[in-house]
Amino acid sequence: MEYLYDNYSGALYGVIFRILKKEEIAEEVLQDVFLKIWDRFENYDASKGKLFTWLLNVARNQAIDKTRSKEISKDQKTTPIEKVVSRIDNEEYIEQRIDGIGVNEILKVLSADQQFVVEYLYFKGYSQSELAEEFDIPLGTVKTRLRLAMQQLRITLGVTT
Amino acid sequence: MNIAEYISSGILEAYAFGELGEQERAVVEKNLAQYPELRAELQRVEEVQEVLLMQMAIVPRKAVKENLFQKIDAQKPETKVVLLQADQSNSSFWKFAVAASVTIAMVASYFAYDYRGKWINSQGQLTQLIAQNERVAQDYNQVNQRLDKIESDLKIVDNPDFKRVVMKGKEIAPESMAYVYWNESTKEVYLSIQNMRELSKENQYQLWAIVDGKPVDAGVFDNIAGLIKMKDIGNGAVVFAVTIEPRGGKPSPTMETMQVAGEVVKG
Repeated sequence: MEYLYDNYSGALYGVIFRILKKEEIAEEVLQDVFLKIWDRFENYDASKGKLFTWLLNVARNQAIDKTRSKEISKDQKTTPIEKVVSRIDNEEYIEQRIDGIGVNEILKVLSADQQFVVEYLYFKGYSQSELAEEFDIPLGTVKTRLRLAMQQLRITLGVTT
Repeated sequence: MNIAEYISSGILEAYAFGELGEQERAVVEKNLAQYPELRAELQRVEEVQEVLLMQMAIVPRKAVKENLFQKIDAQKPETKVVLLQADQSNSSFWKFAVAASVTIAMVASYFAYDYRGKWINSQGQLTQLIAQNERVAQDYNQVNQRLDKIESDLKIVDNPDFKRVVMKGKEIAPESMAYVYWNESTKEVYLSIQNMRELSKENQYQLWAIVDGKPVDAGVFDNIAGLIKMKDIGNGAVVFAVTIEPRGGKPSPTMETMQVAGEVVKG
């Protein structure tokens, strides 16, 4: 378990924090996620995907559930001013604590459309349907853009398998 | 089903990102089981996603980990009880498997850490040893060279073909003394300093041979130990003498600076 935590807590916390945008709540969710992983490890089925994918899904579901609970006001994402302020705060915050380097550099290889999709889905904690709805893009387009972006990133990140 | 079209719709990315509802998921999972190409593509998608998210990791505060493991530790007795109930074998097997693999991982990390420490240590020792070895080799070379020099010097000193000319100190340098070893047939001239004072850097000693009443330049030398090979001075030298001259020497001796001189003993 400690091994799992040491290896994946950073990546999962990154995802959770980007969805929830509040440190205390994100930390709480991270703990819940690992307790859930500990508790339900037998549910992991390697034939359905990689371990990280499973962990990621547990984390995202837990975080998204949290946004729907009373602790997080739903209008966080819809009130423009609040959104801008929190985004600026968070970006600074993330920059200080971010583990990897050169993410912005990596994203530069993408077209503006692709960058936008990756940024909102992976950096800003949007789901595909939220993104489609809020920016009035057909869900299918979001999916194909992400597909193209990931294919480009596959080359940039040197994933050769 | 057109696999390429299916893949390019971005459904696998959505699946890997946990975006699909239960029904859609089930369909994808069914397709994954059926088409190996889909499975392979999903793996690539997952890989990219993992690398990307790892790059974007944010390290949580330390307290989170402590807190979490306290909670897990608190759960442990419960887990053990479950383990003892044989019919819950499936879930407890997994817990056991996780516990076992975590233990193995921890033991392995400990060893990795420990060995890394040892490795760094031995790396340091190795570097030190290599440096020491180089120094010893250098010393050995120097000693060897000196030994070779002494051996070759000895051959000359011991060789009866070499005449030894003792040059004694003149009035201005009564303590000084040097020898010339001269082989008349091979015309080789060697010089050995017994006692001569240090000179300033601008000056050098110069050896002269008196041949037919005239001084012949036999070369300059510094105050060093061992035999010094000098210039060939031809035949018929009767006297050898050393003067102090500006560095590089002069074509004719400055007689007032003569330090030592000695006659060649006939026969």
